[in-house]
Amino acid sequence: MTAISVTVNGVAHEQDVPPRLLLADLLRDRLGLTGTKIGCAMGACGACTVLLDGEPVRACLMFAVQADGRSVRTVEDLAAPDGGLDPLQAALQAHHGLQCGYCTPGMLMAITPLLDSGRPLDAETVREAIAGNLCRCTGYETIVEAVVEASRP
Amino acid sequence: MSEWQTYAERRWAGKRVQRLEDPAMLTGATRYVTDIALPRMLELAFVRSHAPNARIVSIDLESPLAVEGVHAVLGPADLADVQPTVDIVHLDAALKTPRFTLPGDRVRYVGEPVAAVLARDRYAAEDGADAVTVELEPLDDAEPIHDDIPDGRYFHQMATHGEVDAAFARAAHTIRRRLHAQRVVTAPMETCGIVADYDAATGELTCYLSTQQPHLARAALAAAVGLPVSDVRIICPAMGGGFGGKEVVLPEYLCAAVAAIRLHRPVRWVEDRSEALTAGAHGKETEAELEAALDADGRILAMRSRFLSDTGAYSSGIGAYVEFMVGAFTVPGLYDLGGYAYDTGGVVTHKAPISPFRGVGMTTSQTLREVLLDDAARTLGVDRMELRRRNMVADGPWRTVLGEEYEPGSWRTAFERALELIDYEGFLVHQAAAREHKARPPRLLGIGVSPFVEAAGIGSAGGAGGLPGGSHDNATVAIDLSGHITVALPTFSHGQGHRTTAAQLVADMFGVAPEDVRVIDGDTARTPFGMGTFGSRSGVFIAGTVNAAGVRVRDKLLRVAEILLEAAHEDLELVDGAVGVRGVPDRRIRLAALAGAAHFAPHVRAELGDPTLTATAFFDPPRPTHSNGTIAATVEVDPDTGAVAIERIVVVEDCGTMVNPMIVEGQIRGGVAQGIGLALLERYVYDESGQPQTTTLAEYLVPRATDLPPIEIEHIETPSENGTGGIKGMAEGPASATPAALACAVLDAIAPYGDEIDALPLRPETIAHALAGAGR
Repeated sequence: MTAISVTVNGVAHEQDVPPRLLLADLLRDRLGLTGTKIGCAMGACGACTVLLDGEPVRACLMFAVQADGRSVRTVEDLAAPDGGLDPLQAALQAHHGLQCGYCTPGMLMAITPLLDSGRPLDAETVREAIAGNLCRCTGYETIVEAVVEASRP
Repeated sequence: MSEWQTYAERRWAGKRVQRLEDPAMLTGATRYVTDIALPRMLELAFVRSHAPNARIVSIDLESPLAVEGVHAVLGPADLADVQPTVDIVHLDAALKTPRFTLPGDRVRYVGEPVAAVLARDRYAAEDGADAVTVELEPLDDAEPIHDDIPDGRYFHQMATHGEVDAAFARAAHTIRRRLHAQRVVTAPMETCGIVADYDAATGELTCYLSTQQPHLARAALAAAVGLPVSDVRIICPAMGGGFGGKEVVLPEYLCAAVAAIRLHRPVRWVEDRSEALTAGAHGKETEAELEAALDADGRILAMRSRFLSDTGAYSSGIGAYVEFMVGAFTVPGLYDLGGYAYDTGGVVTHKAPISPFRGVGMTTSQTLREVLLDDAARTLGVDRMELRRRNMVADGPWRTVLGEEYEPGSWRTAFERALELIDYEGFLVHQAAAREHKARPPRLLGIGVSPFVEAAGIGSAGGAGGLPGGSHDNATVAIDLSGHITVALPTFSHGQGHRTTAAQLVADMFGVAPEDVRVIDGDTARTPFGMGTFGSRSGVFIAGTVNAAGVRVRDKLLRVAEILLEAAHEDLELVDGAVGVRGVPDRRIRLAALAGAAHFAPHVRAELGDPTLTATAFFDPPRPTHSNGTIAATVEVDPDTGAVAIERIVVVEDCGTMVNPMIVEGQIRGGVAQGIGLALLERYVYDESGQPQTTTLAEYLVPRATDLPPIEIEHIETPSENGTGGIKGMAEGPASATPAALACAVLDAIAPYGDEIDALPLRPETIAHALAGAGR
């Protein structure tokens, strides 16, 4: 076991973890943050994407110990405390950018840093940016439309 | 039957209402099976066969018990009293392929489970599985896969309708095509999974299960483990996609259920992606051939087809029947065939079992037929669309050569509109100029057009692709004492937005908003019996059942209002959560007060009798609905690499009356995306020794955002005669018809250089090879 301290969605956690515990399993099984989904466990589908110190990473490709001393943000942290959706979440709903919802948390976390720059995005840029996140339901077009809209000031 | 009886005003139905499901999904609150964790729960991992065909010599089940965290190990002997499962198809002369949960004698495909390890977490369970040694002795591939099926062919059917042989004898032209429809994988983003929880005090087994068919899964699971159906409860909290692959009750589920019963502890098994790709829901692999007899004017006199599906090691669930039967039955499509003969069946092989996959059978029949029609047009020197016009049936009802009764549709209208939208004539000019220009390298432009009809919402009398079986549902509509409306559905929404659709329909019936209607599905204890979600049936069945149940509750509610308001039934209206007297704004009573009066007001009780504002109603459509449409695609093929760039995809779709056009378009886009995957990218590969080669999502190519173009959609609404409210089922048609449009477009693009391609997918190397072979 290794003692780690990791801040998740602004809350500090101290955990004793086996070295092989995946960050995804730390979040899901230990901290109860099951919004982060596992789709392939080998970094090919993007469903488990979370932000590590603001950068998108695959939580299935990282060990929990690698998050020691760092800050993680998950899908549970996006909406306002009263449940109000953030602009990206609202745009995805308005554009029907989700169907089964399983890829959605990873998609949101992959896109969120893109919007932080405040620059308007075009469809091609968005398609490239989410090319590492698989969705089997939507055909991506409505996701792209939603992100383009959410990127506009 | 077809009339929607219960609303005066369409306030919500037909509108692009945002989905009620979305806020929970967008915030990570929606729970899927993998998110269910129960106290004392054990995790299960399987030991799987690494050989495609071998005798099991021994399995060492002792070693894993020494691994830290391992609690128990189950082998074949532990599961011997679980009934072997067989497919659910009842056809004469169909041979069965009984499947033991853990086979003790031999393994039949790579990935077949042979032992189960239960441990405190998945890490320890996998450690335990690694410690199991299985000794296998390879078997001769000449040995039958199942003893009772010497040649592996478990079903074979031939039939002739109308005049066929004579038509071929007098034909001016006969054209033949073969097509290998590749093995693919359903690959929903959420894999399969179960959490089984046995209550030793009551003897009840609760299974959280990722299934499209909660009630059918309940019955199958109960039968296999030997419990009364009433002692099994299936809960599907939410499901991350199914696409047909989550209709089968897997042996893995039976194993988890038995373990929970034996060990008196909850057991969770969540399929990992490598298990899903190796031994999960494969689909579609079929070898098919089609032959057409045409007269000198290009009229089709008759067709002959042959389908043989590679089922894998077992025919389980509905097996590959939906591939080879629906494939053979959907060959006529929208064309007037004088005669038609088919020869169809399935064969078992040393591969993972086939399950249904969106567009069952139709992706193969549609692609083969439309490519063949293009061949015919080229042979006859007739424009490809003109050849279709000469053979396509007129808008309206139609009886096919197989006797299938299509309800009216916009067959030709949708076809012509798609040609307009994609500017077919303009494209031909553009294409001819490119061919004329003789650029080095040449520009290879192609266009393909795929008109389709989809039988959907099939009832007991439908005869889905010649497969017998009941198909009917119930729904419950209830108003509680607080005046809240609840709808309980046996279908199961896993991306299709059923909750929103049902809430829109019910909101209009009761004068409330969709968000005021609670829709329950995915729980056999809280929903009445029904068949689940598959075959584009849910829209039709939800509308039919909810309408029938809602009418009864609404009538009773209005009866209470009549008594309290001393007004006649016809003067009452349901608006904004209350019943009022038309034109008298201050005479209105809220639903909660009406529900309260029904239960407690003596004079209402005296007149009303049974006070419950609840009804469960049954629906079984008299005939299937038929949605239709046309998909048109233009492509450019890179002459050096063979890569296909899709320039445009146009969809004209008619699914009758739309409840929520936004959701309909979502189904179209998703279907087209899967069709593009099938046409250009996806293929499951076994090597010659039977070892799978595409066991990760890096090797099995699900379309990515950069692989897919925007999809242009236009609607036509021809109301159904058989679906309540004019609703027709949809969601498979676009998936079925897209590969044909793309195959036709690619073959058109390379037509000047020959088109010796008879297999999907149309991958760059295949196309480059065909071009090289043609001396390009």
